[in-house]
Amino acid sequence: MIYLLSFDIDGTMEFGDPAGGVTVEMVRRAKELGFIVGSCSDRFPSWQKKAWDSYGVAVDFWVPKHMLLDVKTRFQADRYVHIGDRDIDRQLAEKVGFHFWWDHEAVAEPWLAWLTDQR
Amino acid sequence: MPHPGVPHSWFRNKDGLGLWEGRGKVVATGVGTSPTARRWDEKPETSMGALTIIAIRKAIADAGISPDEIDGLVLTPESTTGVSNDPKTPPPPGWEKHFKMASFPQAGITRGDIDWLLLNTPELKNVKFMMNGAMCMSVSFVAAAEAVARGLTQTCLVVRGWHNLAGRYYVGVGASALNTASGPFKYSSIWGLPACGTTAMVFEEYCRKYGKSHDQMANFVVTQRRNGLMNPDGFYSQHRPEMITVEDYLTARWIAKPANIYDNDLPIMAALAVVFTTPERAKNHKQKPVYILSHGQTRPEMMGVTPTLEKWEQATDRMGRILYEGSGVGPDDLSFENMYDGFTLFHQFHLEGLRYAARGEKRGYALDLYETDISIEGPNPVSPSGGNNGNGRTRWWNHRDTILQLQGRSPSQIRKKAEIGVSGAPMPDICDALIWSATPPV
Repeated sequence: MIYLLSFDIDGTMEFGDPAGGVTVEMVRRAKELGFIVGSCSDRFPSWQKKAWDSYGVAVDFWVPKHMLLDVKTRFQADRYVHIGDRDIDRQLAEKVGFHFWWDHEAVAEPWLAWLTDQR
Repeated sequence: MPHPGVPHSWFRNKDGLGLWEGRGKVVATGVGTSPTARRWDEKPETSMGALTIIAIRKAIADAGISPDEIDGLVLTPESTTGVSNDPKTPPPPGWEKHFKMASFPQAGITRGDIDWLLLNTPELKNVKFMMNGAMCMSVSFVAAAEAVARGLTQTCLVVRGWHNLAGRYYVGVGASALNTASGPFKYSSIWGLPACGTTAMVFEEYCRKYGKSHDQMANFVVTQRRNGLMNPDGFYSQHRPEMITVEDYLTARWIAKPANIYDNDLPIMAALAVVFTTPERAKNHKQKPVYILSHGQTRPEMMGVTPTLEKWEQATDRMGRILYEGSGVGPDDLSFENMYDGFTLFHQFHLEGLRYAARGEKRGYALDLYETDISIEGPNPVSPSGGNNGNGRTRWWNHRDTILQLQGRSPSQIRKKAEIGVSGAPMPDICDALIWSATPPV
């Protein structure tokens, strides 16, 4: 199974403004476990890439918030999830068929359970 | 204690008034800017009021004068265009340990207040002239210019602070949070039009009329951020030193098409204070005096609940005529323009009304101009301050930078000689603007 995780930044990631509860380490772990990971944020895409590079995480995508459909087109996966802190995150995610988790739900790394389920 | 607003007779808001009587009799010298923040963390020492006091003290120090010399204070009390607390909300715990309390409990938190400021800046013990310049610091600059020119104050502080509380700025707050809409809002707001929606509609009308496109805004927005990042006092240079690319802009999310998210300015915490005085007294100030040549005002002549392209063009044309008539200068005399940009999509209305870098054209040329070299190094610097878009929402970066440019000390100093500049805000049809000069008028 292939899983794709999209992270909002401000209010979601620990390096966002405001800071959220999702840590870089959680994203790094997901990447190492084979998830397709990236960010989908209102921050400049060019900056998103630089930010991930500065944390040493080789994300697979870094796009504006409204381009989740583009991500879905680019990457074939069995499950698509967007994680964010605002209604607009949920609205845009659900519009293109992504599952949505609030930032506070994501801090428990619920995606890790999928790997267990798979076994 | 209530303080007076600006007498209507002080505003230059019609044609035919001739040269401004105060022309060359008022100068700006010291400038003080507070640190910035994205939102208030509810600590007294980072409140809007605290930032305002910092700005005042920095302006006085920058002018190189004693606080005793300040005998006037003009303040814009409104400190946001977004959400505020209920006016009766008490200050947070510990507030009284930092500040003396005024009768208005939100003073220094979500509203500027002259009495509160004077209580908490005891060194300002000779302030006799006090006035509120409502809505925009542009109004306060005009009020202070008139007050100095009329001899009502000799050395006057012009002040505005901005607060930004945690949470949403516009969405679901204020009138938007109510179950019913009344007044003009029952026609304009019930469908959830975002703040930039009106501007987006008029911009669309502009593009259709003149055959232009939103893509032509890209170089302007990129240049705004570049200029803003040169400013060590700006929000972005202090907290998000991130440069936007043309691709970032062109792929951005629509907020109200054709206004995208980067056409909108970011609400922040910040405060500015500027010292105005007479040319005579400025001889003892540390900074080079910047002369005010004239000022102008427009207010909307609405034909419906939203403005139209025609009305915005008429208003900005009128502003151009009033400013040039009062100052005795013309479009070709401008070294740069620093008109308002929050939202970016109406900046060109201001610019075209002034006929800035028009090369004989009257309307519909600004987006073509944006695609030329409008940088501080170029022949036609556009908004060298970086404006709200490059520094965060204050409505005063443009005024501040105009003074600094003409003093020759702007962090984004234009390369050609800065001799005469113009700044004004906010909207194309609700605007107060000033023409400034590095030298006294002849």
